[in-house]
Amino acid sequence: MSFAITKEAEVVVVDVEGQLIVGNRQELKQKVLDELERGEKKFLIDFSQTGYIDSSGLGVLVSLSKKIREQGGELRLANLNDDLKTLFELTKLDTLFQIADTRERALESF
Amino acid sequence: MTDLTAVLSAFHAATQCEAAVLTQSAADGRIIAEASTGTARSSIEQLPTVSDGIRPIDSAGGPSLIAAVPGPRPAWLILGPCTTASGDLASYMRFMLPVVAQYLQSALEVEHAANELAERYEEINLLYTISEILGRTVSLEEAARTILTEISETVGARRASILVHDPATDSLGVVAALGVGPSPTPSIGVQDQCSVSARVFRTQHPLLVEGDQMQCEAERSYRRGAMLSVPIMWTTPRGGEPLGVVNLSDRRSGQPFTAGDQKLIAAIATQIGTAIQNARLVRASLMQERLLHEMELAHDLQMKLLPAGSIVAPDAVVAARVMPAESVGGDFYNLFRLGDRRVGAMIGDVSGHGYQAALIMALTMSASAIHAQTTADPGETLHALFSTVRDELATTEMFISAFYGVVDRVRGELLYANTGHPHAFVVGPDGSCERLTAKDPPLGMASSQPKTTRRSWSPQQDLLVLFTDGLSDARSSGGQRLGEEALLEIIRKYRRESPAEILTRLIDLVEAHSGNTPRRDDQTIVLLHS
Repeated sequence: MSFAITKEAEVVVVDVEGQLIVGNRQELKQKVLDELERGEKKFLIDFSQTGYIDSSGLGVLVSLSKKIREQGGELRLANLNDDLKTLFELTKLDTLFQIADTRERALESF
Repeated sequence: MTDLTAVLSAFHAATQCEAAVLTQSAADGRIIAEASTGTARSSIEQLPTVSDGIRPIDSAGGPSLIAAVPGPRPAWLILGPCTTASGDLASYMRFMLPVVAQYLQSALEVEHAANELAERYEEINLLYTISEILGRTVSLEEAARTILTEISETVGARRASILVHDPATDSLGVVAALGVGPSPTPSIGVQDQCSVSARVFRTQHPLLVEGDQMQCEAERSYRRGAMLSVPIMWTTPRGGEPLGVVNLSDRRSGQPFTAGDQKLIAAIATQIGTAIQNARLVRASLMQERLLHEMELAHDLQMKLLPAGSIVAPDAVVAARVMPAESVGGDFYNLFRLGDRRVGAMIGDVSGHGYQAALIMALTMSASAIHAQTTADPGETLHALFSTVRDELATTEMFISAFYGVVDRVRGELLYANTGHPHAFVVGPDGSCERLTAKDPPLGMASSQPKTTRRSWSPQQDLLVLFTDGLSDARSSGGQRLGEEALLEIIRKYRRESPAEILTRLIDLVEAHSGNTPRRDDQTIVLLHS
């Protein structure tokens, strides 16, 4: 489980490898908040290599989304697998996030 | 001094002359006969110095000579009188003086060595005693006082203190002190510039200060004159870490503290360091135990908050169960009798684990009971519930996925609101299974009022099925998820059985799937017939 951070144009892209769960959510949060503090405004979290997100992982995404918005920034999500898509739909979280099918589309949408 | 007596006897045998050695006592200055062949005589009127050379003295039995013995200790050699007149007493004297001087010197060295040995014994004894004290007790304060008493006796200090660092305030507080008044001794900030203790703590090096050096008001109570201050160290794999300071002052002998004292105290300080660390570990482990106990209590309390299915009888038959994860979790359900044969059923999952989740769960449980009675509309109930816990959710960054349904068997309808709860279904008598989908995100993620949906309800036939994701996410030993479909299949298959029987089947299914794999999330099921 790890988080790779890269920068594409003006967008900070975070790749979540493995799972986003209670045990590693703080790490993701801190990494994104560090970037936010450095003045970054545009964030994309790519879940193409993510199998599972538990409820506390969802909590961190919501909390990050709020914090980024407060700083005048934007958070987008991309590449949710079918299970994750269902999870977002069932919990109505799809109404709170901008979710793109691919990384490219997410990057274009900023 | 038997050796010296033997020398003098040998001299007497060879020369037939008497011989005696007088010395001056270091304690009271009296002249005593250290060794003698005949009657000891110590009442010589004027004792010569080394530079006086050999002098004759009055003697009843014949001529006698006296001379001061050179060396660090005041001593005199008297030769004569002799029973035979043969021999030159003066040359005997010149021969004997260096011999006696050598003997006295050796004797002095032996005495010093014996004293030093006694001191070492005392020190070793002190170290043993301290090891024993530390082995017997885990209370640092109790041990510190006993240790101080032992140390101050050994080095002869009237005042002594042990100061321990408090990381919270970054100051040194007195945990034990000897020879100080009853008034409390103030703590000393680690950055204090005048304090000897603070400096020793910062530099991690012992310090011997003279009576007039580094006088500091804060240290007045445990310092008089010179002070020896030694850091208490704790050795970690990363190196030494200072934990406090031992101070000794007001020496009984008035003599300054020595490097030997410093070494001894440094050795003891290391032991005290280990004791401090042990005491801290013991305290931490007790705390941990208490915490675990409190967690268990919190968990018991949580379970007691959950209502029995019978509270909605006879309007509905409910089987419900929370199977908690090891830690205190955030799942809950609640059941309400709402009048006119209506029954309310709520299920919820507070994100996260631990105290905060448990606290919010308890708060939600009690608030839901109030709000369910004040409005008949499930969306309004959940919204009112959210208002109650809004601040807690915001500060803890938690949220609640919840489903609340009101079954009205008289009207044949089910009203429900769903805020992000994924697993809510109505299973019909024909085995059909309709998901009661969430229309809103979990409470805490959005602030608008949740929508209420209305659907028909077939009394005595429809089964309301609610469970949390802990159940569908249950893992096998190989890490395989159980999945929602497996649970629904059991429910569809045994839909004609009572809720309690279906519940047992579901639990069996989960247990068969998980085996001994520990539960990583709470698992909650509510089944309702009405």
